[in-house]
Amino acid sequence: MKSENNKEKKVFMKPGKNNKEDRENFIKYWVNYIKTHSDKEWSSQQKVLIDSQIRE
Amino acid sequence: MESLIFEMEYNKNKKEIILDKELNNLDKFAFDFFNIAVKYVDCVIISGYVSILLGRSRITEDVDIFIKKIPKETFELFYNDLVSNGFWCINSDNPETLFDYLKDGLAIRFAHGKIPMPNMEVKFPKDKLDEDAFEDAIAVKLPEREIKISSLERHIAFKKYFLGSEKDDEDALHIEELFKKDIDYGKIKKLQKLIKLRKNEI
Repeated sequence: MKSENNKEKKVFMKPGKNNKEDRENFIKYWVNYIKTHSDKEWSSQQKVLIDSQIRE
Repeated sequence: MESLIFEMEYNKNKKEIILDKELNNLDKFAFDFFNIAVKYVDCVIISGYVSILLGRSRITEDVDIFIKKIPKETFELFYNDLVSNGFWCINSDNPETLFDYLKDGLAIRFAHGKIPMPNMEVKFPKDKLDEDAFEDAIAVKLPEREIKISSLERHIAFKKYFLGSEKDDEDALHIEELFKKDIDYGKIKKLQKLIKLRKNEI
């Protein structure tokens, strides 16, 4: 998401009170990323994570 | 406030999701297997990979897939096609043995290349509840490929009420957050009851 001055606008995640809540918050944060970026954008990020562990 | 540009398009009536993702190596592996499998048998992807295909930020070593019950001869043709395309089964290289495993309700795993990960965990549906996964399955359509996954409600219900580990709850949460307004919670409740009945029978 770009702001008026063409810089990526950062969205921040609220830390959870415990590990479970923190992980859930991250899932919601990542879903928000998916919903605010194109399929190509979010999937290229996912690809970095997955391809780092699974070779073609 | 960021603006929504959610591109993933879920059409409940058509039972399809349109997706334009860049395929990762796990996607390529699952799609390659699925494309061979559908030549021989109706099949549906279930469990963790459903969430990963739809964006979940985690990895897995196996992709679960139900295939409808087929005769041994058809399974052998399917097996030979897999092998000629570089897949191998980590349970046996004898298709008769593998078919017996499936018939006995066991899962068999196919990998590609030298390393046994990732692998496709193939199984026949065990009962009506499993068989119903074929009835309400969703087609996920990419520009040049297509794959079939279990319905979002079935996915969430099994993750939350049958499997229930922290990872499973998180896989369900991902789908719930992603498709919030489109999820039929009445259907999840019905599935929850059926799952409870099955658990009581085990």
